[in-house]
Amino acid sequence: MNPYLAGFLLGMVLLASFFITGRGLGASGAAKSVVIESIGRVSPEYAQKHPFYASFFATGDGRPMKNWLVYLTLGVLGGAFFSGFMSGRAGLKIDKGPRISNRTRLIMAAAGGFLFGLGSQFGRGCTSGAALSGMATLSSAGFLTMIAIFGTGYVIAYFFRKLWIS
Amino acid sequence: MAPLIPQGFINPDLSLFFAFVIGLGFGYVLEQGGFSTSRKLAGVFYGYDFVVLRVFFTAAITAAIGLLLFNYMGWVNYDLLYINPTFLWSAIVGGVIMGFGFILGGFCPGTSMVAAIIGKIDAMLFILGMMGGIFFFGAFYNTFEPLYNGSALGSIFVFDSLGLPRDLFLFLLVVIALAAFIITRKIEDKVNGIQSEKGLFHSSYVLPFAFMSGLALLILILPDQPKAKWYESDPESLLVEVVSGDRYMQPEELAYKILHPDENDLVIVDVRPAEAFRQFRLPGAINIPLDNIQSRENRRRLKNTGKEILLYSHGSTSADQAWMFLRRAGLDNIRVLKGGLNNFFTGFFAEQEIPASGKYSEKEQFERRFVERAAKAFREGEASRKTPSAAQPVRTLINIQPPAAGKGGC
Repeated sequence: MNPYLAGFLLGMVLLASFFITGRGLGASGAAKSVVIESIGRVSPEYAQKHPFYASFFATGDGRPMKNWLVYLTLGVLGGAFFSGFMSGRAGLKIDKGPRISNRTRLIMAAAGGFLFGLGSQFGRGCTSGAALSGMATLSSAGFLTMIAIFGTGYVIAYFFRKLWIS
Repeated sequence: MAPLIPQGFINPDLSLFFAFVIGLGFGYVLEQGGFSTSRKLAGVFYGYDFVVLRVFFTAAITAAIGLLLFNYMGWVNYDLLYINPTFLWSAIVGGVIMGFGFILGGFCPGTSMVAAIIGKIDAMLFILGMMGGIFFFGAFYNTFEPLYNGSALGSIFVFDSLGLPRDLFLFLLVVIALAAFIITRKIEDKVNGIQSEKGLFHSSYVLPFAFMSGLALLILILPDQPKAKWYESDPESLLVEVVSGDRYMQPEELAYKILHPDENDLVIVDVRPAEAFRQFRLPGAINIPLDNIQSRENRRRLKNTGKEILLYSHGSTSADQAWMFLRRAGLDNIRVLKGGLNNFFTGFFAEQEIPASGKYSEKEQFERRFVERAAKAFREGEASRKTPSAAQPVRTLINIQPPAAGKGGC
């Protein structure tokens, strides 16, 4: 798909989200709900007393999984699977740069995920929730987060070039 | 008419269904846009593939322009949108950490979901790692909390931070994005060893160029709001309301409510200047000077209280002006204290005339007792004249806010 057309359509989805719900899109929120729900299952007392987790049990009938972002992500999974399956892109696979082994790639993916999970808490959202949705409403936070993410990426790209380019 | 769910047009229980449907579109477009490959995503940092930048910026600008146009047409009430609050250092630190995560992992959370569901094993590991990172944040929350909640600047807008008019900022943003599209195309061709086109314009972006610049120009040159927005009251019905005087609350009713906190569902708003408020105020009142009542923040907070709002000033004039503005801005359930503070005090503190007969009727006795009780309570309580002092805590709207409806995006 032409990237500008894809961007336009994504913008329309984002606009629809604002029009209907008053808020933008998000992805890391669902992962957060899964984590918090799990903690609540394992140790309800710890979760209820924890200053960060407790508020998530106070909303959505006390169930972190009954959350707007969780259902949004379920939709994302459905939509992406449909698209990938119809375009013949579905199938077990590891994408990586030409110079690294599968094992290195998987370790780096997990490490990157860890950092993204941590960073998205400080940033109050990831590339979609903080940067993309934040920029759509012209909030300072959105632009700040976007510049910090991509700025850092460009500054450090050189040092990690072995991961991606030959 | 929108946003639909915060306005109550759609049952909040249905919002989960809509979330799913919006997600379907989100996932489909991301996958079609090529976001399911980490190598493609990482390309934006190495110059061999800028598809991320193209999709990301086009989407952000399309939605930003769309929201402003909807706002202009009166289809969306910008006041009710979730504007990401800015916590300066938390946002920067979070962004830097995420930048590292992007380079190492080759995904961001949304794209990792898209990639994992079509079978990318690296994306599945990324998601597991992400949950680990979130758990890590929670486990050390007490350590992170000062940074996380520090330097809170509220829901501020980037154009205000930069000191630019909103529409000019948007126009410049479009220009910057379009320039970036051209430059990155040149870089991409060079890195990949492709012969670049001679002309400046690549056929793939002529259309989005024309479309976005057109919209941005339109926003820039459109005159100010042409007509009332849908949620604003129209002048005719407002006039009828003004004449009817239904907005007035009698001092007795207010006194009764102040004396009976259980039955008091009022948000009492003092619209006099802050100085006058510091010297004297009604019990439980908050201060929003008339000059500030127009601010977006105040309007939204008043709307969000969900309670009846009572405005008062010395007389009725300032409170009436505030009432008029808020009504026009679409808030209902607003009352004005009849005769203002002056009338309130003549009623409760002035010496009462004793009837010529020297005797009160039963009804008069009842009323008098109430007046005396109220006057006593007010004299002893908060409603006594206070010496001005800066240290005195002033109750603000923030204190009476219900918890925010929705937590941040991602």
